[in-house]
Amino acid sequence: MTNTEKKSLEEGLQNRLLDYVSYVLTSARGLYKEPHSYGPMRMVDSLEKALFLLRDMGIKDDAIEESVAVIRENRWRVTSDPEAFAQALDDAILRLVKVTLKESSTSHE
Amino acid sequence: MNVLDAIKIRRSIRSFERRSLPPEVIQSIEDAILHSPSGSNAQESHFVIVQDPDQIRRIKRFAQGLSGDPAAVVVLCTNKEEALARGGLDTAEVLRFVNLGIAAAYILLTASSLEVGSCPARSFHQKAIKEILGLPEGIEPELLISLGYSNQPPRPKSSKPVREVISYDQYGKEKP
Repeated sequence: MTNTEKKSLEEGLQNRLLDYVSYVLTSARGLYKEPHSYGPMRMVDSLEKALFLLRDMGIKDDAIEESVAVIRENRWRVTSDPEAFAQALDDAILRLVKVTLKESSTSHE
Repeated sequence: MNVLDAIKIRRSIRSFERRSLPPEVIQSIEDAILHSPSGSNAQESHFVIVQDPDQIRRIKRFAQGLSGDPAAVVVLCTNKEEALARGGLDTAEVLRFVNLGIAAAYILLTASSLEVGSCPARSFHQKAIKEILGLPEGIEPELLISLGYSNQPPRPKSSKPVREVISYDQYGKEKP
């Protein structure tokens, strides 16, 4: 990679990071008046954006990506079927619990 | 496509293909705006059609309700002072928002009739968007509508049973 390419990549990531920070801050401000159901949705969207950022920086975590994919499939249900959305969050959390337990058992070996 | 078909196929689209809208589509959106009714003919609304990718990116930073990468964003604004001067107190307090809602429906249905996806969003930071667009004092952004070609199949629609939404002749009375 040339220095110019490297600089362009860094600027791109800086811009993306600023996109992300602005999004999270604006979301936090908006939640004062928005429906309660928007809270979990914004957090999930923030997580997704953070994952995309990490992936583009060369850091990838399949377990978290799979977990988010479960939520993403049911994201639109947040207002029409909150229970289904909550169930998707439960499924995603339990996937991460499995990863956590697996890591834990590995670290004790 | 007739209006009812455009109504029936419309869904909020939150994920878009990365391609711009042809000028004919933008022209149709402009026509829809200009032919939208305005109570007392006050015409206090203002609309900013944003297609510049950099400007869309700036808006998106402060509009958490805007999802995906739309090809265009229409910012629906209202002017309270002009509404008061031209339409009176009721227009200033209520009707200007009704006018904006009708204009929004016109934009959404025009887009739908052209098979362009759209999503109205109220979740954004008004002062931030006002700064970014350089809106003068008194003109406030109230609603954003994203436009673009959907890259996902439409999701199913959920709605209340008809008897909870529509009555006949008297509240709660079902269709004769």
